[in-house]
Amino acid sequence: MGFFRKFFQGEQLQDRKIADDQQEPQQPSTKNLSRNIDYLLNEFKYTDDLKIRVLKKGDAALLYFEAMTDQEKVQQMIFNPLEIGKVDHIYDIPNAKETTNLEECIRSLLRGHAIYMEDGHERVTMFNVTSVFNRSVEEPANEKVVRGAHDGFVENLMININLVRKRIEHRDLTVKFFKVGKKTNTNVAILFMDGIVNPELVQKVEKRIQAVHTDKVQSPGFMEEFIEDSPISPFPQMLNSERPDRIVASIMEGRVALFTEGSPTAIIAPSTFFMFYQSPDDYNTRWYAGTFIRLIRFASFLIAVGLPAFYISVVSFHFEVIPHDLVTPIKSSINEIAYPPILEALIMVVIIELIREAGIRLPSPVGQTIGIVGGLVIGDAVVRAGLVSNIMVIVVALTAIASFVVPSNELSMTLRMLTFPLIFLAGTLGFVGLIFGFLLIAVHLTKLESFGTPYFSPVAPLRIKDLKDTFIRLPIFTMKQRPKGPQPVSTTAVEEGAREWKKDERSNQSKNK
Amino acid sequence: MKRFIICILCTLVILTGCWDQNQFKNIKLTLTIGYDKAEEGKIYETVSIPTVKGSEGVVEETVQVLSSDARTPLDARDKIDQMISQSFNPSKVEVVLIGEELAKSDIYPLLDNFYRNPSSNLNAQLAIVEGTAKEAINFRSTGDTKISEYIGGLLKAATSSTHAHGHNMQMLWGEMIEEGEDFALPLLKVDEESNVIKFDGLGLMHEDYYTGIKIPPEQSTLLLLMQGNKGNVARMTRKVRDDQPTPILEYITFQVMDFDRKLKIRPEGDEVNVDMTLNLNVTVTEYPHDHLVDEKIIEKLNKDLSNVLTEEASEVFNITKEGNSDVFSIGRMLKAYHPEVWKEMDWAEDYKDVTFNPKVNVTIQNHGIIN
Repeated sequence: MGFFRKFFQGEQLQDRKIADDQQEPQQPSTKNLSRNIDYLLNEFKYTDDLKIRVLKKGDAALLYFEAMTDQEKVQQMIFNPLEIGKVDHIYDIPNAKETTNLEECIRSLLRGHAIYMEDGHERVTMFNVTSVFNRSVEEPANEKVVRGAHDGFVENLMININLVRKRIEHRDLTVKFFKVGKKTNTNVAILFMDGIVNPELVQKVEKRIQAVHTDKVQSPGFMEEFIEDSPISPFPQMLNSERPDRIVASIMEGRVALFTEGSPTAIIAPSTFFMFYQSPDDYNTRWYAGTFIRLIRFASFLIAVGLPAFYISVVSFHFEVIPHDLVTPIKSSINEIAYPPILEALIMVVIIELIREAGIRLPSPVGQTIGIVGGLVIGDAVVRAGLVSNIMVIVVALTAIASFVVPSNELSMTLRMLTFPLIFLAGTLGFVGLIFGFLLIAVHLTKLESFGTPYFSPVAPLRIKDLKDTFIRLPIFTMKQRPKGPQPVSTTAVEEGAREWKKDERSNQSKNK
Repeated sequence: MKRFIICILCTLVILTGCWDQNQFKNIKLTLTIGYDKAEEGKIYETVSIPTVKGSEGVVEETVQVLSSDARTPLDARDKIDQMISQSFNPSKVEVVLIGEELAKSDIYPLLDNFYRNPSSNLNAQLAIVEGTAKEAINFRSTGDTKISEYIGGLLKAATSSTHAHGHNMQMLWGEMIEEGEDFALPLLKVDEESNVIKFDGLGLMHEDYYTGIKIPPEQSTLLLLMQGNKGNVARMTRKVRDDQPTPILEYITFQVMDFDRKLKIRPEGDEVNVDMTLNLNVTVTEYPHDHLVDEKIIEKLNKDLSNVLTEEASEVFNITKEGNSDVFSIGRMLKAYHPEVWKEMDWAEDYKDVTFNPKVNVTIQNHGIIN
């Protein structure tokens, strides 16, 4: 009976709003229509796309931003009911919302609503007639999978939340909205599973989001830089994804997903290094295949970061380690090269990056041509001209391929960046430099934290149970507990006896015999 | 202050530059090194240096052979270094050859620099050349382009067919310095007539010099089996019959499938007796008389072969005694199991007095896929 009690006590129910705006300024409307309109026009700096339709021979006005509203909706919601005669007055249209605060009118106009005001009345009626343009929920181009869901987030926050809610039909899925950006007023939402997620983590995320004071927030990339733990680190500390299944999996592990309006990318806090190597594909194939592919991805990490450096240190310091049968081929390929190997490597790595960058910017048919011209023609000519040895071409091409194996674009970029310091170290100190480089990377990874979670978990700190889904992927029913990384409140993911039926069947069979 | 330190660190990294770089493209690799005896106690070093030309898959190689005489191996190397365009590097050497004459004096001084330098290739093969090493390195074969490839391949093949030990320089180090243990090195011979280099048995070493006494290639397989070594294939051909119309029918060829060697040392007073039982399970790979399903024939063959090989084993023992080369490590076993006897002995002299009682048992277990 709480509802009635509230009703009788005069406590009126309020519409729930996306973001709390009680501390926003108030401006009471007056009974004078023209003063109200003057105020609004003045606030909007007399912008030309604010349309004012004068109704009732000048006694009333309908205001809306022409660019933001859907004319058909205006007709359907406001004029149709009047014409049919269902209601006598615009105030009586049921889906209207009322206010006497002109500041609120400003905010709702900006959202694409239409407002209706009448001379002699303080109350203002608002109608949601926003026009929405959305693309379809297509599979993101840079996170394609062979099997599994082929939908992806879009630029509309509500559709994105819809995609998540459809996958988690549970009352514990909680959404919290924030308005970030002084001028852009961007909607930012965090999604998490109450009861799984650690409340401290949610508090931490909320606190960091509320601390963001900036003019604009364009994309999750902006938010990431504001809220991540160490901006100096080359490693991304939050996982970016446009795939709902990936985000849902993370939410179910007790992590927090962060969306911003106007961007199809969601970011996950906290993220660990190994999350960047997991792909939804791993869970859609048989677990042997998943394990195999994942191991290949980790091998690609070593190749992408260390192969050029290793090759340089071998040919400029420690050629004793070249196997006998390779001595002459390698010697013959580098004998006539004019430059030292470190310069060769830098030339080739820069060329590959150039080709890659050019390929992205150009329209796709031309991009392919550039790939072929760049990859084949330049690669061949460079070797023939004696600028770069063909072994170096192999090494750098392998490195580039290996860096693209990582399912996350951010980490792929990081790996290619890390190649450079290692090349310099290897070129000056040989294997010693290479080992120092890897040591520094390992130390950094171990020290790094993402929202209080060790970045290199479950390897450092070691948790054997979580290794089931790190370097390898064991069958899902063996992963009985959630990863310890985000310190979830509820730890059981798969309950005991998920495959009890097998025992039952066996005992039935033996009974029948 | 902080900026200053960062500057210093950066300069340190940059200024170290490439000071200890050793560019692979700026060196001349030596793949074969040979030592010979020269006059007045000097040594004569011969090296082969392949010069690689061209890229794009087609590799042209010209092998340069340089020689120089000097006091020590490194002295010779310096002299050779002054003859070539880039710097000389022996760290990928595949074969080290020693001329027969030089090998008859100590060989350790020749190899000392290899063991001392951390970057040298201790996986290299060591062999003695009957004649001079220079001759072998200067040899132009028709098939293989590089002499190192030719000799290296030859030695590898000899190892896999149980003719040579295949011990590299790392393994020889232990055998060279250990008391009560000697070793044998493969012998090579340049055959001018048929234009080949051939494997010519095992040269018995005493301590670290060549005794001049060798085990011929026919018996080296048996020696290796008696030492407990077997390569991939151990094949022997022995005479088991007389009075056949053609000599080819008098022989049997067999291959050892597995073997078991037992060595027992019985010191009796001053005398040391060594009993050796060698059980060979063999498969007959060539025997034109056939009828190998008949048990009687097999029995007879087993017996005959056992007798022939037992006799040969005593012969092998006598050869090692002649060279005073304890290739069976009897001395070391004596030292380990009977130290009191060992203390009384002067092994360099007493090896000759050891009594060997070999017994070889051959069992034919397989005769191929025809009856």
